[in-house]
Amino acid sequence: MVLKKYELEATLHAEKREISNGRLKDENPLDVSKGFQEMCGACRRGDLKRCQELITDGVNINARDEYDYSPLILASLCGHYEVVQLLLESGALCERDTFQGERCLYNALNDRIRNLLLKYDYSKSTDPLQPLASHITSLLIRTHPKTSDITLSTSGGALNLHKFILSARSPYFRNKLASTPESNGWKLSSAIPPLAFDIVIRYLYLGEIPLDLSGICESDEEEKTLVAGIDKLSKQLGLETLLDNILGGGDRRLARQRRTEEVTRGRDQLEEWFREHVLKHKVVTNTRNADDVRWDRDNAIFADVLLRADADVDTDEEELDGNIESVGPEQKVRTTDGPLNGIPVGPVRDPSPPPEHHSYPRTSTLFPVHRAMLLRSDFFSAMFSSTFREAQDTSHLQIIPIDCSPEVLEIVLYFIYTEKAEFPLDLAIDVLFAADQLFLEKLKVKAATVISTLGNGTMTVVESDNPRGMSNETEPEIDIYDVIRAGWLTRVHRLEEFAARYLAYRLEYYIDEEEFAELIRESAARIKARQETDSIELLDDIRYYLSERFRLRFEDSGIDEMIDATAGDESDLVAAQNPDFKLPDDEGVDLKGPDDTSQEPKKPDLTSEGANAFDFSGVLRTLDGQVTGDEFSTDAQNYRILLGKIDTLLERLKLDA
Amino acid sequence: MLTGRGRGKIRAPRRGLSTPGDNVDFDSMWAVLASSLREIHTKNASKLSFEELYRNAYKLVLKKKGEALYEKVKQFEHDWLSTEVRGRIRSSLTGGLLTGAAGSISGMTANERRVAGEKFMKALKSAWEDHNLCMNMTTDVLMYMDRVYCTDNRRPSIFAASMALFRDCVLRSPLVAEDPTTVAMILNSVILDQVRMEREGDIIDKNLIRSCAYMLEGLYETEEEEESTKLYLTSFEPDFLDESRVFYKAEGASHLRSSDAGTYCRHTRKRISEEQDRCRSTLSPLTAPKITSVVEDELIKRNIREVIDMEGSGVEHMLDNDRIGELELVYELNARVDPKKEELRRALQKRVVELGSDVNNAAINSSQAPPPQPPEVNGETRGKGDAKPPAERPVNQQTAAAIKWVDDVLQLKDKYDNIWIRAFGSDQGLQTALTRSFSDFINAFPRSSEYISLFLDENLKKGLKGKTENEVDAVLEKAITLLRYIQDKDMFERYYKKHLCRRLLMGKSVSGDVERQMISRMKMEVGNHFTQKLEGMFKDMTVSEDLTSSFKDKIAKLGDPDQKRIELAINVLTSTMWPLEAMAPSTSGEEGRARCIFPQAVERVKQSFEKFYMEKHNGRVLTWQANMGTADVRATFPKVPGKESSKERRHELNVSTYAMVILLLFNDLPPGESYTFEDVQGRTNIPTNELIRNLQSLAVAPKTRILIKEPMSKDIKPTDQFYFNENFHSKFLKIKVGVVSSGNKVEGTEERKETEKKNNDSRGGTIEAAIVRTMKQRKELSHQQLITEVITQLASRFVPDVNMVKKRIESLIEREYLERVEDAERPAYRYLA
Repeated sequence: MVLKKYELEATLHAEKREISNGRLKDENPLDVSKGFQEMCGACRRGDLKRCQELITDGVNINARDEYDYSPLILASLCGHYEVVQLLLESGALCERDTFQGERCLYNALNDRIRNLLLKYDYSKSTDPLQPLASHITSLLIRTHPKTSDITLSTSGGALNLHKFILSARSPYFRNKLASTPESNGWKLSSAIPPLAFDIVIRYLYLGEIPLDLSGICESDEEEKTLVAGIDKLSKQLGLETLLDNILGGGDRRLARQRRTEEVTRGRDQLEEWFREHVLKHKVVTNTRNADDVRWDRDNAIFADVLLRADADVDTDEEELDGNIESVGPEQKVRTTDGPLNGIPVGPVRDPSPPPEHHSYPRTSTLFPVHRAMLLRSDFFSAMFSSTFREAQDTSHLQIIPIDCSPEVLEIVLYFIYTEKAEFPLDLAIDVLFAADQLFLEKLKVKAATVISTLGNGTMTVVESDNPRGMSNETEPEIDIYDVIRAGWLTRVHRLEEFAARYLAYRLEYYIDEEEFAELIRESAARIKARQETDSIELLDDIRYYLSERFRLRFEDSGIDEMIDATAGDESDLVAAQNPDFKLPDDEGVDLKGPDDTSQEPKKPDLTSEGANAFDFSGVLRTLDGQVTGDEFSTDAQNYRILLGKIDTLLERLKLDA
Repeated sequence: MLTGRGRGKIRAPRRGLSTPGDNVDFDSMWAVLASSLREIHTKNASKLSFEELYRNAYKLVLKKKGEALYEKVKQFEHDWLSTEVRGRIRSSLTGGLLTGAAGSISGMTANERRVAGEKFMKALKSAWEDHNLCMNMTTDVLMYMDRVYCTDNRRPSIFAASMALFRDCVLRSPLVAEDPTTVAMILNSVILDQVRMEREGDIIDKNLIRSCAYMLEGLYETEEEEESTKLYLTSFEPDFLDESRVFYKAEGASHLRSSDAGTYCRHTRKRISEEQDRCRSTLSPLTAPKITSVVEDELIKRNIREVIDMEGSGVEHMLDNDRIGELELVYELNARVDPKKEELRRALQKRVVELGSDVNNAAINSSQAPPPQPPEVNGETRGKGDAKPPAERPVNQQTAAAIKWVDDVLQLKDKYDNIWIRAFGSDQGLQTALTRSFSDFINAFPRSSEYISLFLDENLKKGLKGKTENEVDAVLEKAITLLRYIQDKDMFERYYKKHLCRRLLMGKSVSGDVERQMISRMKMEVGNHFTQKLEGMFKDMTVSEDLTSSFKDKIAKLGDPDQKRIELAINVLTSTMWPLEAMAPSTSGEEGRARCIFPQAVERVKQSFEKFYMEKHNGRVLTWQANMGTADVRATFPKVPGKESSKERRHELNVSTYAMVILLLFNDLPPGESYTFEDVQGRTNIPTNELIRNLQSLAVAPKTRILIKEPMSKDIKPTDQFYFNENFHSKFLKIKVGVVSSGNKVEGTEERKETEKKNNDSRGGTIEAAIVRTMKQRKELSHQQLITEVITQLASRFVPDVNMVKKRIESLIEREYLERVEDAERPAYRYLA
């Protein structure tokens, strides 16, 4: 049901009043900061990369500018499909029956964007933090594998809890458990009804708490004792917001808002705890000795497993085995005699890298972590549920090697603990693979997003002008071959698309490379492995994006005609038909054909050479070096040349397509 | 941060995916995995590292070696199952089982067979459990392969594949070369053998069989694992059902020969519950409905008819002997195979109709038997019935028969209602059947309407005296139940009206309340039109009371101080409502219409009332029904001359109006004189038969012999002389002189014909009304439709005879209410306005 205009205005007015009364949080607060302005600009231009960077920097994508525009409205109004998609995936709201939401839908430039917006309608999309919250809540009832390390006995039964969650969420437990990390039980006074404990514990575990206590209590009196019990407990445990949440009343939107705030707070607490404990206590050690690290079960981090990641072997580092300071295993054993409340840094190495760091060939990093959280990954879930070695109880913490670099493992863990995933482009492919191996779909998507946005699929206006001073560094940020193969291997279709587009827009650089031919052959093989069809997916995609790249100019006049006609006639024709046709500022201003450079050695040399070929000579040349009359004919010819090259390539590879 | 690092280009992933052609050492990685798998199968997994195994499998899949890995694992499982597992199972086989599966199990005692079977099943069970455990672990390790390789290539998961391998390599492969016997076949025969033992009463290891059944349930024919292709369903269940069918067929036949119906039913029920238990505890719940239906087919469907009809113990026997439990059982069993319970219903209806006919015949016999007492005495008895307890004297033979009939029917009904509730769970269909049977035999009895009305009459007159409200209710309810069965309700109405009329006029009704209650019940049951006239009768009675008292007031106001004033109590009856002819059934023609000559005094009162009534209601005609009235006469008898002690005696005589007229005649007669019969008739103009009856009661009945007849005999002849009996003697002050009335006895054949004729006449009217009503509405209707319509309309009152309807139509055509449609295909009629 779409609301009538006056109804919409009425709700908007009511909402405004609520907001000014401070009851509701404004979902689209006014933001005049520089960062947000830049965000809006990027959305107008369709600058995908900049958008991603700004989002990562923490710009509020649901804010509005002084004209009441939100980034999502701008992007959909200007017709930037990819930007809209990015914004929605990053949590931009488009809820029907709200002023901003309807406005966004109404403003969408085309149906494709409109449908995209509808697909992400708020009611269907979930809170991005919901998976984390529900995982933590599910720990309360999950009995296998056993992850709980503290038992809370109430008159109503026993609850199996996790020290690290309690410490992260409640100041009371943090202090208490810090002083006695080995305690494994907590008795509660019987004066407080068990139901109150249930509610408090659910709250601590980010579960949904009942909105209306009267629904679960049989009498008013019971309700009163319950509220008193919760009040007492929350004071004791240092939870200021719990009672407010319960007593806040049943308005749906308010409740949702409170819940979102609460989950966010919980996430932040977990994050803080993760930084303060897990990350701070990670241990870097010599790979050879890594497995000898002994870590007590009772530790102040409450970790119950150690994950090991080995650092990359830097080829430029010399292997100087002789220089390794050999540290006896007995020194690495952390003696249990020591004070338990101390930070149980197991290996005796100073965390700060010693000066002779370079002389170590390989280091390993150990992360003290919690199985309860690792269970979010099916990989760990299977591991800890099985009867293999990892699932067995040992006197010291098990050390489980994970096949990735410490940086990547840290990102993975960060994601598992906090749902946050921020990492630079250069780690993205590694993260992608690690996520694939560990079955973390969301992280995979995240990695793919990072690659396809920061990797700069479309060369936008801004970028080719002067994207933040990068233009003089012509070295591409990514190895597109790696990207596409990673996409194939990890089955992320988005990366295949991205790569095809990337290649199409730079085809002249790659078309003659031997590796490109190899890639085409692989793509053909992939498809044939599945079923006997004659098309090669990658080439189809490239052709599609190629036509998109040139279509801007050929629209309305028919490409074939364009290509067959003579250059001079054509340009007149086009100019006559589209007198105010905007000239795209693609890189095609002047392209010197790769003919000149095809003899050059492979990448990365090619790119730098290619860059040299880009000097602006003021003469319009096509890719095969012919001088042409104007830009239109240049493009037409270039398009034809590229298509021709593809055909030649196919012939050479003896593939039909 | 990002821009700063942006320079560094994405590095090629560190470990080994640079090029696909790059050779992973498949063989060495597989070697690691294979040895680990072996460890898993030999239960040494605790030393293995999940991470390492997973990583190896992951890499192989990433390097496009998924296919090879998948095949290798399958091969490994295949080898393992075919050698290790099959070997173990073969060694668990005791010789006899192998041959036993192929042919008949011979040369082994049941116990030996059981032990051997259990050993075999134990081996199979543990093999299956081990396999499951191992495959769960393997699946964990190969998770990446399952999710990536198998999904992409649409291969069944390794778990499903290995289950299929278990099926093929263990269950479906021959144990010995050249012998087609497979493990599955042996398993089937072992389980069936054990089940047979249990059916015969032995104890078997249910859990063991259950776990084997679990195994079969966990395996599928195809790798798609559709529910319907479970091995249990495809390979075991059909065998089991066939075997059971054979078993129960034989058992059913032998039990039918050797045991009675009750035992048979009990046994069947036991078998059904046994089989259901077996499915729960030994086999699979999936089979429960199927095996139940097998038992039902073989033990119930096939034999239920014979069981129900079983001589001396079948349903008839159970019904007659109130074997509620057994009937319940029969009902339950029959309901299992036939929702309509056809067989039981048939037997039940047959029995009800049989018993009903017995009741009917008994009633006919007793009513036709020669009455043990002469009718005169009967009449007297009836007349005095009110004063004496009815039980002391035999009531009228016919009436007794009627009441007995009703009682018998009610008893039958009670009995079957009881059975219906207790044994048949108040089953709707059976109730309908019972109702139909009752209705059949009740309507088959021509006098049912009359008898029921009589029964009510009897009860309303005296039967209900001193009974509590609940008891009264119960009697009325019973009567209504019977009424429900009656098709010709108009007949009943006619009789009821007649009986009611007499009760009202003679004031014989026990309680007006109960009468009204009865009317309202009938109203609810049959409808408004049915009780309209009956209610009218009640209304007349109350109106008449008012009339009488206001007339009395008027006389009093006239201030006529006539000492000999005659008090008049009058009932003014609407002639259409009351069955007046019923009061004088044998009165016919003009004779009945002839006016009785009243004595002077009475005539005066009569005229004064007529005047009074005409003042109130102009234009009405009052017809005096002397035959229905009564009068209180104060009579003085002179001293008996012979006796000193005697004195003048005064008695109050309660007599009929006619008797009063006769007695007053003797006032004017000097003592010793007499009138002949003809004299009396001439002076009073009383119809002959009435006169005879009245004279009989005055001169013949010994206790009320106020007149003396000459010659003394029981019959009245026209030549008889009548004297006033001055020596009349009675110890009572008030004397009621009963009239030999037609009483409320059962009608004679003549009367019955009369009644039927009248009934038919009134039916004719009703039918005509229905026809006209229908045609007025439809204007034109085919013959068939019209008949149907009329019959439906009248169904609630009676079942019209089609011929009668036809005649009525003819007559309506003659009278130009209808006309035939000339050129219609089927005969049709048109309404003429």
